[in-house]
Order: sequence, then structure tokens, then C-alpha cells
Amino acid sequence: MRRVAAALLAALFLVTPYLVTPARAERVVSLNLCTDQYLVLLAPEQVAGLTMLARDPSLSVVAAAAARLPVVRADAEAVLALRPDLVLAAPWGAQATLAALERQGVRVVRSTLPRDFPAIRAETARLAALLGEPARGAALLARMDARLTAVPAGTHTSALWLAPRGYTQGPRSLEAAALRAAGLASAGQGRQLGLEALLAHPPALLVVARAPRYPSLATDLLTHPALAALPRRTVPPALLACGGPWTARAVSLLARP
Amino acid sequence: MDGAGGQPAGAAVRRVPVIAGLAMLLAVLLALGLLTGAAGFGVPDATILWQLRLPRTALAALVGAGLGLSGAVLQGALRNPLADPGLLGIGGCASLGAVAAFYWGISAAFAPALPLAGLAGAALGSAALLAMAGRAPAGPSLILAGVALSALAAALLAMALALAPNPFALAEITFWLMGGLADRSLLHLALAAPPIALGCALLLRLGGRLDALALGEEVAASLGAPAGRTLLLAAVGVALVVGAGTAVAGGIGFVGLVVPHLLRPALGERPGAILAPSLLAGAALLLAADLLARSLPLLLPLSAEPPLGVLTALLGAPFLVRIARRMAA
Repeated sequence: MRRVAAALLAALFLVTPYLVTPARAERVVSLNLCTDQYLVLLAPEQVAGLTMLARDPSLSVVAAAAARLPVVRADAEAVLALRPDLVLAAPWGAQATLAALERQGVRVVRSTLPRDFPAIRAETARLAALLGEPARGAALLARMDARLTAVPAGTHTSALWLAPRGYTQGPRSLEAAALRAAGLASAGQGRQLGLEALLAHPPALLVVARAPRYPSLATDLLTHPALAALPRRTVPPALLACGGPWTARAVSLLARP
Repeated sequence: MDGAGGQPAGAAVRRVPVIAGLAMLLAVLLALGLLTGAAGFGVPDATILWQLRLPRTALAALVGAGLGLSGAVLQGALRNPLADPGLLGIGGCASLGAVAAFYWGISAAFAPALPLAGLAGAALGSAALLAMAGRAPAGPSLILAGVALSALAAALLAMALALAPNPFALAEITFWLMGGLADRSLLHLALAAPPIALGCALLLRLGGRLDALALGEEVAASLGAPAGRTLLLAAVGVALVVGAGTAVAGGIGFVGLVVPHLLRPALGERPGAILAPSLLAGAALLLAADLLARSLPLLLPLSAEPPLGVLTALLGAPFLVRIARRMAA
């Protein structure tokens, strides 16, 4: 009798952690560049698959680490073959794939893809808790806040963020949030501007992401000689491809005197 | 087409006033091109005028001139009223060549690679077509082969863009299939102008050979203008013009098809008589289409300019229908 009670007690002791907290995902697949970066920074041990884009240093801040981690296409069959217990994705894109995965009983979580620093704080904390790594999340946010508080008082210079293809970043974009955090005034209205329309009302400062290593018509526009006379500041594109704790590095670059 | 037999009375007399009229129209459109843009109508500041409006206006005129002249020469050399560099797939092959040079970073390292690769693509396309034309001259099989080449080039283009190192390259397929001149630079003008000028000079000298060919291949050979050599010279000229033009302005269709048909009612059927007028009318037509592309966002709540090839196709498609009706009658 005593032996049975001891066995029951032992069994309860082993099972309890699983009853109290939901099982920590052990095999996580990310199908979006932004969730790729959160996943690698928060829980590299749990990565079962990332997108190819995570390995591109012009798009991803975790390119070096991602080069050693597995990648997968957004294809239900390929993802299922990795036997994931959690799939991270964006609110848009590959929805048919995600629906197929959910039909197969895979847990899918869609990230909100933050567009400003309060949202970055909330999303980092949420994903850190989801992945069972709240301490790493808190450390990332502490470093981000240290960078943001180190920014000197702003000049409120009118700055236009010019994106590939001539788009300007609207007031609620991540780019505008970075400009404001750096003490600049974001002049963009979110419209696509031709170079002529831009030069008809030139901003005091032009901000562009440094062109990635591969050529495109969209980024060729940013190096057009007609823009050469405008004061310009460039930022590595990976820092703003997605909003995350790393975006604070772009703010430091923009705020430098 | 029955060659010189279809000459309306007085067509030769009308040539000089038609050329003069087209030249004046072109001059007006060139001036409008320098005065119109997103910054508003009028003379803009120096940067906008020299760095944006000048290359755009000059490229519209040059590329249009080349396309109009190419259409006239191809229709004469192949003795087929449907011949056009776009419809026959030469433009598509040029786009393919330019895409390969551009997205694989070759033109970023060596700028002239862009027109050279467009040229190589156009040359391959024309060579493939002429090989077929040599076997079945003037027949519908040539147009069929051109449509096939055109579809093949478009498919390979999409494939090349999907496989390019740039994950977003496929989003730029509109430009390579439908063209555009927005925000081109003086570098593009410098790259495209020499091959286009050279090609036009070569094509303009083919008038006599095309007139001879219109009388039949044997007559042409007896007049010292064998058909094979005429076709070869036409192919080289068209490759120079279309290859360089497509590399900087993308695939612009219908200009070469429409322009000769617009001119024949006034100038007659003799192929040599419409070469210089086709050059001028092609330049004027593409300039007018580009002016429309620039003006539409000023007049309508558009987020961006419509692709240039869309406007030329809107203009050209009804003409294609008219030609088809006339051929059926």
C-alpha cells in the first residue's frame, strides 16, 4: 500500500509541471521574416524551420545565426514534415498554407508585426512568454530601452523616408516611429511619389534604407542623380524590414549628430 | 500586299508635307515633354528639367522613333502587315536579355551590359525568326512563330525574375512586359542613344532594298538586292534599336505595328516611302503616350502612372481589329 502511494506521488510529481503550465513548444516553425527574427533571438534552440529570407543580411538581423538553422518554404507539406508543435506567421500571406496546417491540428500563432515602440514591447513580451523565455524577452527590451533613452534631444528637422519604388512612409509607419524616436519630424504621407513630385517640395533631410546587395528598379530610384543634392542619411535595411527590439539601432543611427 | 501597285495617285507628292507636318508635331510634343510633369506645367527648376524631364522626353522620342521605324522595315522586309517587333517576340527576347543582366548584378558592375544584353536578346530573337522566315516567307506561319516566340520569351522572363537573387524581382515584371519611362536618368539616355541612332541609320538606308523586295524576290535579286541580305540587314537594325530601347524603357508594344498603318493611307504602299515618316510618327506617338502617362495622375486620383505599354496597347488594339477586318473583307 505504501509502495503504491509512493508510486502515485512520484507520478504526480512528474506530471505536475505539464498540468500547471501549457507544454512549452519544442519544435517551432516560422513562416515570416519578422517572426523568424523574434524566434531566433528568443529561442534559437526551438527552431525547426525559418524562411529563406532570414539568412539574407540585407533583410534580417539574425542572418548569421539563421545560416546555421534549418529553413523551410511556406508549403503545408514541407512544414508538416518537420512535425512542428507551433507555427509562427504574419497576419497576411500564405493563409491557405496556415489553414491547411490548422486543419492538421498544428497550433498557428499570427504575430501582429508591430509598427511602433509600445507595440514592439508588447509583442516581444507576448512571444517571449509563448516560447517560454520571458527572461530573454525582458533582456532584449532592456537593451532596446537603454538605446532609446540615450538619444539626445531632437531637432525636429523635417525628414522624408523614401522607400524603394518611391513610396514615402506614412505617419503611422515603423519608419515614422523611428524618425520621431530619433527627434526628427516625419514628413512622409504614405503616398508613392515620383522623383519630380519629391523635388518640387524637397525635405530638409532624405532618409533611405541602404540598397540591398541585389539590384532592382525599385531601389535604383533611390540612387537617381537628381536626388544627389539633397542631404541624406542611410540606415541598414534589415533594421526596419520588421519592427523589433533591433529597430532601436536604427534610431541611434538616425539620431547621430 | 501587292507592293508598288497599291500606290495612290499623288502619294509621292504628299510625302514632303507629311514629313514636314510630322516634324512640326514632334517639335511641339518635345516642347510639351519638357514642360509637363508632376511638379506642374511650366519650366521647372534646373535639376528637374535636366535630370528628369530631359532624359524622359528624349528617351520617349528615341525609343518611339526606333519602334516606328522597326515596324515599317519589318512589315516591308517580311511582306506582312502584322510584323512588329513586339508581336514577333523580338521585344520579349530583348526584355529577357536585359532582365538577366540587370537582376544578376552585371549591369550594376558594368552599366553598358544592360543595353548590350538587351541587344543580344533581340539579336537572338530576330535570328530565330529570320531562320523561319527564310523557309516560309510572308506566310501566316511567321506570325504564328512570332507569337510562340513572344509567349516563350514572356514565360522565360517570368522564370528569370522568379529565380533572380532578389526575392522581390517578380514584382517588377510590369516594367519589363509593359514598359515605362518614369524617373529614367541621363545615364539611361547615354546608354540607349548610340545603339538606337546606329540602328535607325541602318534601317533608314534599306528603303531601296525594301522597294525592290516588294516586286518579288527574283526581281529584287536581279536588281542587286537579294532578299536574304535585306532580311539580315533589317534584323541587325531592328536588334540594335529594339534591344537598346527595351533595356531602358521595358517592353512597349504596338507602336511598330500601328505607325506604318497610320501612314499608308496618305503615303501609299511603297515600303521605302514610309520609313522616314514612320520614324517621326513613332517618336510622336510614344511621346504623346508618355505625356498622357505623366498627365493622368495630375487629372485623376491615381496612385501611380499607368505603364506606358498599357497606353500604347489601348491605342493599338483597336487598330489591330481594323486591320483584321480589312484583311477579312
